[in-house]
Amino acid sequence: MSVKVQLPPVLRGVMGGERWLEADGSSIAAVLGDLAKRHPSLGLHLFDEQGAVRHNIVFLHAGEMIRAKDAGARQIRDGEEIVLTNALAGG
Amino acid sequence: MAITLIVGTPKGAAVLRGNGNGSWSEDFVLHGWPVTASARDDKGRIYIAVNSPNYGVAIFASDDGADWKQLPAAPRYKPEDRGNPEHHRLVSKMDFAGQLKGGGRFVDQIWTLHFAHGALWAGVSEAGLFVSRDRGESWQPIDGFNNQPGRENWAPGFGGLGAHTILSDANDPNRMWVGVSAAGFFRTDDGGRTWNPKNRGVNPAVDSAPASTGQCIHHAAHDPANAGIIFRQEHRGVHRSDDGGDNWRVIESGLPIAELSDGHRCAFGFPMVMDRPSKSVFVAPLDGDNFRFPRGGQLAIYRCSDGETWQARTDGLPGNCYAGVLRGAMAADQKRGVYFGTTSGAIYASGDLGDSWREVASGLPRIMSVDAYIS
Repeated sequence: MSVKVQLPPVLRGVMGGERWLEADGSSIAAVLGDLAKRHPSLGLHLFDEQGAVRHNIVFLHAGEMIRAKDAGARQIRDGEEIVLTNALAGG
Repeated sequence: MAITLIVGTPKGAAVLRGNGNGSWSEDFVLHGWPVTASARDDKGRIYIAVNSPNYGVAIFASDDGADWKQLPAAPRYKPEDRGNPEHHRLVSKMDFAGQLKGGGRFVDQIWTLHFAHGALWAGVSEAGLFVSRDRGESWQPIDGFNNQPGRENWAPGFGGLGAHTILSDANDPNRMWVGVSAAGFFRTDDGGRTWNPKNRGVNPAVDSAPASTGQCIHHAAHDPANAGIIFRQEHRGVHRSDDGGDNWRVIESGLPIAELSDGHRCAFGFPMVMDRPSKSVFVAPLDGDNFRFPRGGQLAIYRCSDGETWQARTDGLPGNCYAGVLRGAMAADQKRGVYFGTTSGAIYASGDLGDSWREVASGLPRIMSVDAYIS
């Protein structure tokens, strides 16, 4: 099952400027795990030392905002897109 | 002689290049990454540490100063390492979910990078020490430091529990010092297996801590070739040790003395650097821990040339400055050049050990680190 993940601008620099990445997985967390396996440099930014999805990352999927703590439960279907972004703060 | 300054800001790194004749160019790289430290290895590769509240820490490297690539590894604690609850509370301000992070220990910032004896060392927050012996391709924790006896008594400063200063001995690879806010200064004499607090003669800043730790070191400087003479900018003043940190005494003659929030009077500030050939030490005093700007708005760098007394060096510095100079935001190029950045985004340079200064960049975000490299 293949899905597309859109990276935020700051992480595109880690991936040579790529905006979209392909990955496999049936949940958002599984998709992130596949990305981390394919791209270890990117994986550093997705999971913390405890193996949890970094808590300030949020996802846009099917018109809804999904928080990191819900990434494991959110099911993804073949061909869908996920937008990976983060909590915004500061000036 | 070309000079490269790597200037860390919350929004990326400014790369300033000086040709030695007063002309400077400026690039801004790593857009969107908070940059806190850099180092250069013996082959000329420059490493830049980034840490994002959203995406964690990483290290970028460049061999030419123009093309920056993220390295595949970064300092990370083991899943079984337990964290300091008070540190968690302080650094979790950006926690979108409003939750503490469950008891683990996390690297939330790389405070300093230090190249010594063929290895790249990283001092991090939550306080810890890591080393890479393969140019950043992999990192190993220094367990003797990270899990040393007494760590349970360490208390964070307001900026968290951070290992921000690393000093090394050019003549003894087994000897190294690490400064931790607010636990104090530690030394190993056996290559990192064991560490001992080195704070005798320095007042603790944390009343509840044991007297041996609880000192709030802000920075330290020495000549690695004559490593036993160490200068130390502490929350509670400027100190000197002549025995590798075993004993400390205050050296504040000539420095502006401020009253701290607890009534203690001393020379307060953060950065400290040394020009090794001349043995000159530089600090940037602030008007105490309440105000944290230069006294009277006169931006001033103080120089110690005799190891004991200090003189203000203000020629070319503004008299209406209410910005500070952060811990990592001053550097010496070891060729009489001294550089610093302010929290208002200005960079000042001196080519004559501080006798005269010139603003060489402005309009940058808050400056968190400055490192200088001669080529």
